[in-house]
Amino acid sequence: MRSAGVVLGQELRDLWLGGRALALTFAFSLLLSLLAYLVATNRALNFLEQRETVNLTLQVAVAVGALLTLLTAADMVSGERERGTLESLLLTPASRLEIVAGKLLASLSLWVAAFAITIAYVWFLGRGVGIAGDALVSGIVVGTLLAIFLASVGILISLFATSNRVSLSLSLFFLLALFVPTQLPSGATSGWAGDFLLRVNPLTAGEHYIGRIVVDGRGWSEDVTWLTSPLIAAPLFAVLALAVGGRRLSLRGGASE
Amino acid sequence: MTPRTVALSLVLAAAIAAPAAHAAALPRTTVSVDRTTVATKLGHTFVVRTTIANHGTTTASGLVAHLNVLSLGPGLYVDPEDWSTHRTRYLAPIPARSSTTLSWKLTAVNAGDLGVYIAVLPRDGRAVDPTTGPLVHVSIADRRTLDAGGILPLALGIPAVLAFATAGLRIFRRRTTRAVSSGRAALRP
Repeated sequence: MRSAGVVLGQELRDLWLGGRALALTFAFSLLLSLLAYLVATNRALNFLEQRETVNLTLQVAVAVGALLTLLTAADMVSGERERGTLESLLLTPASRLEIVAGKLLASLSLWVAAFAITIAYVWFLGRGVGIAGDALVSGIVVGTLLAIFLASVGILISLFATSNRVSLSLSLFFLLALFVPTQLPSGATSGWAGDFLLRVNPLTAGEHYIGRIVVDGRGWSEDVTWLTSPLIAAPLFAVLALAVGGRRLSLRGGASE
Repeated sequence: MTPRTVALSLVLAAAIAAPAAHAAALPRTTVSVDRTTVATKLGHTFVVRTTIANHGTTTASGLVAHLNVLSLGPGLYVDPEDWSTHRTRYLAPIPARSSTTLSWKLTAVNAGDLGVYIAVLPRDGRAVDPTTGPLVHVSIADRRTLDAGGILPLALGIPAVLAFATAGLRIFRRRTTRAVSSGRAALRP
């Protein structure tokens, strides 16, 4: 697995010294700044609404952080194919599994940076209402699980996509599809089918768990069943991405060998 | 029958009929609270316990207790849903000359003077006066929970740091590329 570390180092240099990751995190910080400013300057908010705004800020940070991770992962293989750099990577002594592992870990660095930026905003908004600590812990747990899940999905899509554009479009479509249940009216999600839909979707389940901790002030173990699907999806898709990538990473995309 | 007698009969009939149309009170049920004043701080939680007693000779069943929160002064908007997530309780039958006690957990989400009271009504929807308990006077002391003035340095500072880092990296890369190009040019014969 030493070669995976070398691949990871190279990918991190490409991402961060190449400027792409910095530009994405800059855009992310602008979004959170705008949100935090609008919330903090609204004097009509009561105590509970302040907790809800911390929840909103954290959920946006988790969702957008996961989006950045997904898009970065979706570019990892198909992007290298199009830039013509995948061939030289495949010629190195690193195995395909190590290459995919390095790329997967490198794409997760976007989430790490996004969360580091989020800390300042959540601390500022949540310290007065005494939930900054709980919010940050729930954010890092849920966000990391979602980032691993989405980065793995991004890598899988990127392995089979025939072009980088297809890979990015499919990844974005997949993420939007995961967000659909959040737009359903509350009545539609109150029955067993709606509840099941929210629980089985790692994204909605994770965000629901954050809401329970931050807004309702529930204990960590009270609603822990909501973490079931993120806890299953993250390792499952990571193993799937590594297994498939270890066998199917090739110069040409598509389902055929 | 003289017109005067007719008029008197009508007045009497109306007087008898009036209570039937007017709402009647719930029979022999009282609501009491464990305290009538609460002083706390914004964001803290407090509990009000109510005892619903059935003074009648038969079991009181089909009752529902409801918690209400209101501002005692104008200018303060209060949404009771924010104060308690469990405001309606469907009561089990209360045997004759017995009582039941309920605990209401509330979170102080607005600063100021507020009133809390509990009303008991029949579940069958009869038009009767609800039985209410005494008003609990809640005084919530304000405390600063959000420093709006401090957001600007943060909201501008973090993107500025990242913008400088991006610009600095770009300049560094440009200089490195130039140095490599000029080094290669110098090596050319």
